[in-house]
Amino acid sequence: MVLFQHKKRKKPNHSRGGDFVSILILLLFGSFMALPLVLAISNSLKPLEELFVFPPRFIVRNPTLDNFHDVFVLMVGSWVPFSRYIFNTVFITVIGTVGHLLIASLCAFALAKHKFPGRKLIFAIIVTALMFSTHVTAIPNYLIMSKIGWLDSYLALIVPAIAKPLGLFLMKQFMEQIPDSLLEAGRIDGASEFTVFLKIGMPQVKPAWLTLIIFSFQDLWNLQGSTYIYSEELKTLPYALSQISAGGISRAGATAAVTVIMMIVPITIFIISQSNIIETMASSGIKE
Amino acid sequence: MLYWKRQNGKRRLTLRGKEALAGYLFILPFLIGLLGLFLPMVVQSIRFSFSNLNVTSEGYTLSTAARHGFEHYLRALTIDPEFNRMLLGAIRDMFVNVPLIIIFSFFAANLLNQKFRGRTLARSIFFFPVLLSSGAILGLETSDLLLNSVNVAETGSDSIASFVNVAMLLREYTDLPIGIIEFLSNAVNGVYSIIIASGVQILIFLAGLQSISPSLYEASDIEGATAWENFWKITFPMISPLILVNSIYTIIDSFTSATNEMMTEIKTTIFTDIKYGFGSAMAWIYFICIAIILLVVGRMISKRVFYYDER
Repeated sequence: MVLFQHKKRKKPNHSRGGDFVSILILLLFGSFMALPLVLAISNSLKPLEELFVFPPRFIVRNPTLDNFHDVFVLMVGSWVPFSRYIFNTVFITVIGTVGHLLIASLCAFALAKHKFPGRKLIFAIIVTALMFSTHVTAIPNYLIMSKIGWLDSYLALIVPAIAKPLGLFLMKQFMEQIPDSLLEAGRIDGASEFTVFLKIGMPQVKPAWLTLIIFSFQDLWNLQGSTYIYSEELKTLPYALSQISAGGISRAGATAAVTVIMMIVPITIFIISQSNIIETMASSGIKE
Repeated sequence: MLYWKRQNGKRRLTLRGKEALAGYLFILPFLIGLLGLFLPMVVQSIRFSFSNLNVTSEGYTLSTAARHGFEHYLRALTIDPEFNRMLLGAIRDMFVNVPLIIIFSFFAANLLNQKFRGRTLARSIFFFPVLLSSGAILGLETSDLLLNSVNVAETGSDSIASFVNVAMLLREYTDLPIGIIEFLSNAVNGVYSIIIASGVQILIFLAGLQSISPSLYEASDIEGATAWENFWKITFPMISPLILVNSIYTIIDSFTSATNEMMTEIKTTIFTDIKYGFGSAMAWIYFICIAIILLVVGRMISKRVFYYDER
């Protein structure tokens, strides 16, 4: 005889009806957001004559890979080996992202968890720095780069990206949420301040810096930087690809393909980092 | 507060002093960048706004503008016919859009944070607009007529019309009066531009939701709290610091986006008409307006933000 009927208790926020509604809403908004992407992919697969159909068709009728083939041919024919452009962009992106992550987190950690005179002022300056759009500062920025002698080098692209204030602001807000007792415990056990930061602080805010990586990567990956870089062999991949599309109407197909190629890498990075975020809380040490 | 004390005739740092020192060391790299790159830029821009800039073969020369240097500012505010209108327009758009974007992105992040199949895919879809609005792809589009149809992320409301012309559809299939049709199509286009503009905010909220310790929910579940109570007593306070981040980010994004009429005007004045002094003055007036709004909004939200472990 069954004495206890184990009834499977539903989690409060996990009812089936709720799931259905939320998926429905997500589908609705998601379809809005996916629209441009679907169009971009479908354009890249269209043969040339179909690209010019008016009114434009949303979905491709006779898909072809000709456009991608064209891009490949153009790449092979470029003056500087195409791998050089790819190297430049990968180099700038990786160094810039790692540097930004490290410096922004260090600074954020100090601003959030250390008390010292002047920290409020420094934080206020950083928020102010957020407001300066790149258009407004373009010319002074160029003058400064030319005075320091960083024009035509990777530094002109990497250093400003490392000091982006948005990442710092984001990290600071997340670091505020780390329990002080956790950091104290580390200090009492004799960890140096840097170890406390790296081994206790950073794992606690993993979702924050994974998000930061996405933003920084996305910015740097698409950086053309042709204002600061003159040497052909230092130019970036987006610049090289924009040259392909500068061919006008005859390159319309290749341009569509280029758009898709440029999007693939950030999307991959995004998916990798997002699937990492999900595991974060399992390894987190917050127990209060 | 003492940062050091004398012990056996030597000055030694107290615990508080050590902490402050570590703090300064940690922010040092960022501070160097700020003082070396950012501040000179600001100073130079202010100088430009008070001067007439002449480009010469050797570089440029600056001479103080008329009316004690305030000529450009006065011209923007009192003579230029477009400036005030555009300034007010930008502020009005900001006040309409920012609350909607924040609410929508918070809502979307909550949905995306739930466990369901294919949620990485769902998240990626919400990230696409961020990808599409980025520099390279915008650059590609401007050089190409055809891809202007992909240009949705940039022009938002205009381009949805090229896919689904809401107004035209309504006119064809219904007999509604023209006023209602316009209202509906504007609403649809408005929703679209808000969704497109909230990619970054959704990601920030998502990261915030994921850093909330599950033990908090566990404890409140055991105590018998409902999902509604969990949301208001745990999720909302824990995410409030990020509401501050997102509000400030959204305000700045709305003011400095490349589609903003004011930004385009400043850009054309500086780069096309090569009136650097006048352009800088316009930019500074604009900047001061943004700064005031940010200060007020920031103060209002900061008061209500909850920090888990505030000292």
